Amino acid sequence: MSDHGEQAFAGPAILQEVNPAVLPRPALVANNRDFAWITNKICGIVEGGTPAWWWWCFGVACFIASFTVAGIIYVVSTGVGVWGHRTPINWSWPIVDFVFWIGIGHAGTLISAILCLLRQKWRTSINRSAEAMTIFAVVCAGIFPVFHVGRVWYAWFLFPIPTYNGIWPQFRSPLEWDVFAVSTYGMVSVMFWYVGMIPDLATLRDRFGAAGRVIRARIYGFFAMGWRGSARAWSNYEMAYLILAGIATPLVLSVHTIVSFDFAVSLIPGWHTTIFPPYFVAGAIFSGFGMVLTLMLPLRALYKLEDLITQYHIDCICKITLATGTMVGYAYAMEFFIAWYGANPYEGFTFINRAFGPYAWAYWIMITCNVITPQLFWFKAVRRNTTFVWVLSIFVNVGMWFERFVIICTSLARDFLPSSWGYLSPTVVDIFTFFGTFGVFSVLFLLFIRFLPLMAMAEIKAVTPQADPHSGGSHSHG
Amino acid sequence: MKRKIIHPAPSERAVNGPQYWRSLGELADSPGFRSHLEREFPEGASGIDGVDRRQFLKIMAASFALGGVGLAGCRRPESHILPFGKSVEGYVPGMPLYYATAMPLRKTGLPLLAETHEGRPTKLEGNPVYAPNGGSSSLLAQASLLDLYDPDRATAHTRNGSVLDSAAIAEVLTGIGRTYAGGRGAGLAFLAEESSSPTRFRLVQGLRRKLPQAVWSEYEPVSDEPAAEAARAAFGRSAKPVYRFARAKRIVSIDADFLHAEAGSLTHARDFAAGRRVTNKDDSMNRLYVAESAFTLTGSMADHRWRLASGHMLAFAGALALRITGDESYGALARQLDVKEGWIEECAADLMANKGECLVLAGSHLPAAVHSIAYAINAALGNIGSTVDLVEVPESRAVPISDLAARIKAGSVRTLVILGGNPAYNAPADLGWAALQRSVAEVVRFGSHVDETSALAGTHVAAAHYLESWGDARTLDGTILPIQPMILPLFGGLTEIEVIARIAGETVSDPRTLVYSTITAIAGGNPEASFRRFLHDGLLADSAYPKVSGDFDGSGLGRLVAQAPAPAILGRDSLEVRFVADHKVDDGRFANNGWLQECPDPITKIAWDNAILVSPKLGKALGIASKGSVLQVARDETNQFEKGREMAHVGEVTLGGRKLRGPLHIQPGLSDYTIVLPLGHGRMVSGRVGQGVGFSAYAIRSSSAPHFAAGATLAVTGERVVLADLQEHWSMEGRDIVREANVDEYHEKPDFVKEVGMEAETPSTIGEEGEQMTPAQRASEIPRGNSLYQTPKFDGVHQWGMSIDLNTCIGCNACVVACQAENNIPIVGKDQAARGRVMHWIRLDRYYSDGRLDGAAFGGDGNREIPEDPQVSLQPVACMQCELAPCEMVCPVNATVHDDEGLNVMAYNRCVGTRYCANNCPYKVRRFNFFDWNERRLDSLYMGPLGAQGMPELVKMAKNPEVTIRMRGVMEKCTYCVQRVENGKIRWKVKASQDGHPGEVAVPDGTIKTACQQVCPAEAIVFGNILDPNSAVSQAKARSQDYSLLGYLNTRPRTTYLARLRNPNPRMPDYQALPLSRRERNTKTHPGVAAQNGGTA
Repeated sequence: MSDHGEQAFAGPAILQEVNPAVLPRPALVANNRDFAWITNKICGIVEGGTPAWWWWCFGVACFIASFTVAGIIYVVSTGVGVWGHRTPINWSWPIVDFVFWIGIGHAGTLISAILCLLRQKWRTSINRSAEAMTIFAVVCAGIFPVFHVGRVWYAWFLFPIPTYNGIWPQFRSPLEWDVFAVSTYGMVSVMFWYVGMIPDLATLRDRFGAAGRVIRARIYGFFAMGWRGSARAWSNYEMAYLILAGIATPLVLSVHTIVSFDFAVSLIPGWHTTIFPPYFVAGAIFSGFGMVLTLMLPLRALYKLEDLITQYHIDCICKITLATGTMVGYAYAMEFFIAWYGANPYEGFTFINRAFGPYAWAYWIMITCNVITPQLFWFKAVRRNTTFVWVLSIFVNVGMWFERFVIICTSLARDFLPSSWGYLSPTVVDIFTFFGTFGVFSVLFLLFIRFLPLMAMAEIKAVTPQADPHSGGSHSHG
Repeated sequence: MKRKIIHPAPSERAVNGPQYWRSLGELADSPGFRSHLEREFPEGASGIDGVDRRQFLKIMAASFALGGVGLAGCRRPESHILPFGKSVEGYVPGMPLYYATAMPLRKTGLPLLAETHEGRPTKLEGNPVYAPNGGSSSLLAQASLLDLYDPDRATAHTRNGSVLDSAAIAEVLTGIGRTYAGGRGAGLAFLAEESSSPTRFRLVQGLRRKLPQAVWSEYEPVSDEPAAEAARAAFGRSAKPVYRFARAKRIVSIDADFLHAEAGSLTHARDFAAGRRVTNKDDSMNRLYVAESAFTLTGSMADHRWRLASGHMLAFAGALALRITGDESYGALARQLDVKEGWIEECAADLMANKGECLVLAGSHLPAAVHSIAYAINAALGNIGSTVDLVEVPESRAVPISDLAARIKAGSVRTLVILGGNPAYNAPADLGWAALQRSVAEVVRFGSHVDETSALAGTHVAAAHYLESWGDARTLDGTILPIQPMILPLFGGLTEIEVIARIAGETVSDPRTLVYSTITAIAGGNPEASFRRFLHDGLLADSAYPKVSGDFDGSGLGRLVAQAPAPAILGRDSLEVRFVADHKVDDGRFANNGWLQECPDPITKIAWDNAILVSPKLGKALGIASKGSVLQVARDETNQFEKGREMAHVGEVTLGGRKLRGPLHIQPGLSDYTIVLPLGHGRMVSGRVGQGVGFSAYAIRSSSAPHFAAGATLAVTGERVVLADLQEHWSMEGRDIVREANVDEYHEKPDFVKEVGMEAETPSTIGEEGEQMTPAQRASEIPRGNSLYQTPKFDGVHQWGMSIDLNTCIGCNACVVACQAENNIPIVGKDQAARGRVMHWIRLDRYYSDGRLDGAAFGGDGNREIPEDPQVSLQPVACMQCELAPCEMVCPVNATVHDDEGLNVMAYNRCVGTRYCANNCPYKVRRFNFFDWNERRLDSLYMGPLGAQGMPELVKMAKNPEVTIRMRGVMEKCTYCVQRVENGKIRWKVKASQDGHPGEVAVPDGTIKTACQQVCPAEAIVFGNILDPNSAVSQAKARSQDYSLLGYLNTRPRTTYLARLRNPNPRMPDYQALPLSRRERNTKTHPGVAAQNGGTA
């Protein structure tokens, strides 16, 4: 080596001077938009007249939501037999739907809280609507565990209410943990969302007041809690927001971890596995970001928000989707490996059965949507084609529904004693009740975009190039 | 446990002293008064659908009135049926009373004890006084209780559409007798069911004397006793065989389902189990050879099973006889048999090595010639008097139904009295019974239901259920049993003997008096005392048929053989049809019984329907067997199952020009070209349960070949229907679920069971310390093993446990329905059953193994098809009462918890129905009330609040008042009959304190029996306190074959199983060195040890 080296390089092997390439940070608000433009743009959505498409969408969404309402009335009046459950598959669609919606509810808080703590500034233009999505998804999710029980009028037994009979809930049950996890998550999410919205509500109050629309001004004023934008208020606000972000961060991880305990703590092959908590959390984030894309891309197009939700935002979301999708794929592979490595014939059978048994169709839909789809996000050309990204995001949603279906139903359908094996067929009530929750979700989301500021104006202004005193440089925000 | 009340004899004063009455009518007890009593409450009250509470009270009130004054010609003892409006002496409200009675069925009766609550019979048990049955009872007996409370029963006597009261109907019957008395009965004909009743026998004799020209005919569509002519030919007298299975070390069954379908099956099962039970390694075990065409429970117990068409059984018997007797006259028969190399030879050699301790028997449906040859073989082997007793039976001089039909056709019958039965539904198709019956001028039908036959009869006489009747019956061995009423007839039904007595013009027609006279005449001694003893014991001691010596005489054999049909050549286009009584609804008489309809057939697992059973080979030829897949998990394991339901192809059978259509079900283990048609379904006029369930196989059944016939063809139609098949998957998948060994292996390695389970390959769940403990210590202290969790405290006086012996369980399903009766388990109907929502707390799992399961997930021969000739493994599964119950820790509301005696109990009121417990139960024994099964009609479950609501009053009466009725949305499961456990404890506690030992609260072993244990004829289920090392359950659990199902999960079930043993003959050509399920386990989960399998496949 030495001979060759001396001959080949006469000079020193080290550069005289390090000159890193300049990586231009993409601007988070494009086209040099100023503060007023941002305020007008976002407030304008609330202040302007209701567009015709909104009414159409709202009407359709209400109609779809009525399926859920009708389904629930039917179930409660008649019995959960109207669903497709049977022995041995005692949980099926309702629980699949619950986990599906709860998973979707993960992106919002993750974007708001974790990305806030990590100072990922690109979160600002999407966090408000992602949080709204979280809350509405939790609402949809909450419907299912409540109404899937046999006697919903006694569901309050699950809450630790000190009654005369002195019976407490059973704190060893993961379902009980679910009650606490989901309700805590729901409450913190609502609080976080609301606190973040206060300055913007105050802006709306002021603008409505100036326009002479007193009733609106009063309502927004009520919720703005007397916000005046003083430096002291801003200081307290920032601290409160940070603290809430801190509280919400572990919840992002805990909710789906605990939901996964419903399965991991049981002894059914295919459920009883320690990989579930991280795998479920990764899956939840994956599905959450999938849903963010599904909602945000049409919204961006409808309200012409390309300057606020830039290609850079889409790139970031796609990359997170890619990362979590790959994690999920890894988990699928690892389940198989452990089933083989564990040498337990019951366990081994479950996984072969998943991939090749009567539910193989569901399994391969899941693999296609969750493992193969996100791999396309490696390609810039794919990420740049918003239509294509939107289609892929739908695939992610479908795949994640099937993941829960595969985990819950295939494991239950064929467990220990072959004599009890069965096959689940959903009824129309299962299907329509689930379908209806998209209506419920849409109704809530449409109301949100119509009446609330769908982006955090104050925060976006802070990340505009103009907000940076060294504007024009390329290394300020991270 | 049992509390038998001996009613005090009526005092002298009560009998002869002043009698009190409320009106002159009552005193006179005129027919007018009695009909007035019936009309006391609103008109038509007894004619409407079901009974309401008011009517029930009325019945009580009527019984009060009648009880107070006595009936005409009847003495005070009528007061045995006492009204509950008045306190009964010695009765403690809320405590059940037990009375001895019997259930008559064909030529035998089943001794029973009826449990009554406040005057309502709610549960039937076997009468332990009758030793051969040991207190067990059958599936049909358990379910017969529900027939009493059937809302679809005939509720009134009718004549040409108008309702008659009891006085009027009595007059009609007496009138028939009067009309024909002049002509000495010419023009009068009776068609009755078979009966063992001595009183009926006596009355029929009387009838014959008075009306000698009347025709007395008997007809049973299904026979469960060997043809009488065979015994007469062989032994020259009217005799029948009584088998002693307990003494038989080698048994050959020629198409005889002696464990289930044949008369005396309870005794058989009990004795067979005694010879099968192996408690230590020195015990020997009987060996069962079965040649059969259908797949029966007896076949499932066989050590060697030959699938052979019923038509070839004569040749089989001949071949066996040739080998054993060496008599060349059997040669011609033997040559007709398709030889299975070495089978007959080795089987015969095995029998000859056990002379006097073996038994050969033939199925009742086989021709007399086969029975006669079986007698010859038994005689040659010295079995007569040892394992086969011959008893002399009274000769029936009844004419067959075909003779009666001929007379009707000839126009010589003017009045036809049909006593029970249902000929319009089940008479041979070639008779054209319906038309015949219509052609008779007057038809009087006596029956419990308005059915097909009643629809064609002018007069319908409502029959009383046997639980409402006085009567008598005889067991297989002839012991006379009383039938005594538990309740006054709910709908004023009459009994058969009453009807006969009235027509015969007997001076006495009160059934109790009739029975009284019969019994006291037979018993002798003090009539009152012996009759009371008879009722108290539930049997008449030493009344069995007399044993007769059997000197075999082969001279009649040739004639019988010549009469028997020659074996037909069978093939795809010439199939043999075998008609069998349905496992649950028998010949159709129980078709309106929901418990039975929902009880799955033990082999096919089909509930609510019958199906044309075809062999896998035939199924393939018909193209209905789905093709095997190369993937192990998707192979043809499901028998036409699609999305969890059996979608059966509909087939059309043609036999002798008659056709029927029905769903096809591929049944492994059938003779290749025999199709099996279960009878008893397809009722056209039945009740809300039985109406239109299945198809009627009677449609193609002729009187010349009633049990099996050759020459049928089968075509597949394009149609498909749903069958409620309760078990989709037939393979055990090589798992350690039912653990089996051959008895030889067991003798060498008594604890083999420990090596063939998962727990042999996992760390000990109870740790080193736990391994050192005694079973009693283990139960109360629960060693932690390697668990982090604190285990529950089991500090009760008792620790309950159960042991189920898979070696003796014959899979008869009696436990399933006994549990249903005891625990008020609802039925869910066919639609819901097909959706996998049956509610049975105990079920019987049935697995087939053919030893060809491969280890590989892909490809491989064994991974493809449903087997043709499998071994069957049956396993009763109920809640295991796990000490570390997975269901308990996941229930969020503490609705399922442990008590201190080891019961996993359900607090129904606390349950919200998350169903998490059912998911986490590895045994899948928890059952969920998806709908309000009890409050809603099964045909309108999906109507919700818009459907009809409420349980019929009559059905409510059948409920056990000690068990809660569960509402919708609640999980339920087996509790080891906690109500019985608590009753037993309370009674023992009271007794202990009365005896002055208030501290001795430990209930002695055997005092408390669970419903499933009590009914089991094979004594396979043992329950008791495992803290007591001498209790039967502790002894059973101490046996080396004891294992926990899925024990490696550390659930520590309190119910454990005793492994099943098989006893194949190593010299037989189909010898298997390992049970096939073990071979499968070895190849699938332990490919390394597959080499040890040995033997031939």
